[in-house]
Amino acid sequence: MTQPSQPESSNYAVELNACTKEFATPGGGSYFAVRDIDLKVEPGRFVSIVGPTGSGKSTILNMAAGLLNPSSGTVHSFGEPVHGVNRRASYMFQQDALLPWKSVIDNVSLGLTMAGVSKADAYDESRRWLEKVGLKNFADRYPHQLSGGMRKRTAVAQAWIVNPDILLMDEPFSALDVQTRQIMENELLQLWQESNKAVVFITHDLDEAIALSDEVVILGAGPGSTVVGSYEIDIPRPRDLLDIRDDPKFVDLHREIWGRLKVEVSKTYESAREEESAA
Amino acid sequence: MTVAPASKKTQRFPLRKEQSPAAVQRSKRKRPETSNFAIRMGQLGLAVAVLGAWELLGRVGIIDPFFFPLPSDILMTVWVWISTGFVFPHLWITLQEAVLAFMTGAAAGLVLGFLLARVRILERLFDPFLQMFNALPRVVLAPIFLLWFGLGIWSKVAFGFTLVFFIVFFNTLEGVKSVDRVLVDNAKMLGASEKQLLRHVFIPSALTWIFSSLHISVGFAITGAVVGEYLGASAGVGYAIAQAQGVFDTEGVFAGMFILMVVVLIIDLGVNRVERHLLRWRPPQQSS
Repeated sequence: MTQPSQPESSNYAVELNACTKEFATPGGGSYFAVRDIDLKVEPGRFVSIVGPTGSGKSTILNMAAGLLNPSSGTVHSFGEPVHGVNRRASYMFQQDALLPWKSVIDNVSLGLTMAGVSKADAYDESRRWLEKVGLKNFADRYPHQLSGGMRKRTAVAQAWIVNPDILLMDEPFSALDVQTRQIMENELLQLWQESNKAVVFITHDLDEAIALSDEVVILGAGPGSTVVGSYEIDIPRPRDLLDIRDDPKFVDLHREIWGRLKVEVSKTYESAREEESAA
Repeated sequence: MTVAPASKKTQRFPLRKEQSPAAVQRSKRKRPETSNFAIRMGQLGLAVAVLGAWELLGRVGIIDPFFFPLPSDILMTVWVWISTGFVFPHLWITLQEAVLAFMTGAAAGLVLGFLLARVRILERLFDPFLQMFNALPRVVLAPIFLLWFGLGIWSKVAFGFTLVFFIVFFNTLEGVKSVDRVLVDNAKMLGASEKQLLRHVFIPSALTWIFSSLHISVGFAITGAVVGEYLGASAGVGYAIAQAQGVFDTEGVFAGMFILMVVVLIIDLGVNRVERHLLRWRPPQQSS
């Protein structure tokens, strides 16, 4: 606030400034996963990050979550620098992240009980959430007894129950079949519209990104990728995801963004082939 | 006749959904039970055949009953040891030693395993020494422990400790280190402190490994006690076996072995029970 040059910086739910992440390789060298990433997400906005494989999408999300520290650059959340885990964010992982030794309800209530909420209150709240995600009758099951879609619903409840201001989602539905995935996307959008949360959504699927988001950020080819473009998605809400792919606006946006993304995807493909022929 | 109408009735019931899984489970359980019975009969038959052949070959003089006493004589000796109460003080001593060795060894293994897995510097510091001690054949420690701790139970406890400790330690270390990174990150994002991470993520995750080591380490605790007694003691099953051997009483040696075998089996059943309860979250095809 004392810095007049950036008066509104404290407003961003997630703000990455010139973030670079360098990883050491086993051979003693190092490589840049991402370079000079600038990302600003306002509260309540749904922002997707799309990029070819190996473009460091998850690295960006992990830096926003505080699970990784940038090698250089700063990460802020609501004006506060992020040191350690970002307490205002929940994270939905691409892989199954439910604790397999806890029942569904214990998994969902975990965030609350660890914060010191009494077990009875945490269970009440968990039941409410389980009803919301359609798992009311599965509270006592263990994760291995659920289908992939049900496990994702549990993960949604687990992430939302702590009422975070930011939701970080790393290709959360990529392991699901197409139909289940569309249903889950629809439900996610409904939950999000009722809330006032910022969402950072990682995907490699441009259709999914456009359908869900207010803004789509395109990452360049890795390694050392950076933001190469950012697009406003002004398709009016509420959106019906089951029909949105026929919307002329969607088609136009898709054509425009894909034109840019295609360049990066083919770069990635070519460098992969070069490596293969060099090896 | 009574089964068919009952199942029809449940189908008409509005609560059918809740009842049918139980019914399905029951009918599922029935089938393995019949094949289990056949397997059990086969096992019994196998045991009878082997023991019978042994008995027969001994009686006709093909194998020497002095070295291979007849199964019936061994069982008689077992019965005498039990009915006269001869074996119980020995068994009690051996079990005391085994339980103490197991508890101290497992506790030390668990604590050090968790500590070293969570604090990388300690692991790197201790690693060569632990590898060295683990490479040492533990039996050679028994004589020095006899000198240090005397003929009583503590030399056997110390010996059993060295056997149990390393198994539990290495399994705990591996179990904690192999915890899925995503589970840790997820718990962290949900606000877990280091203590809560240990309780909700690391300990349950390491339990699988620890239990696989418990089966072996329970056996090793008893091995430690018996071998220790065998090398020098004034009581215990190992001592009783050594005494029998000293007077060329092979029946007594075999009787001691038989009793130990039964005791370890019973203890192992108990460990299985505990394991099944604590690891009930696992998919059934993995546990068994």
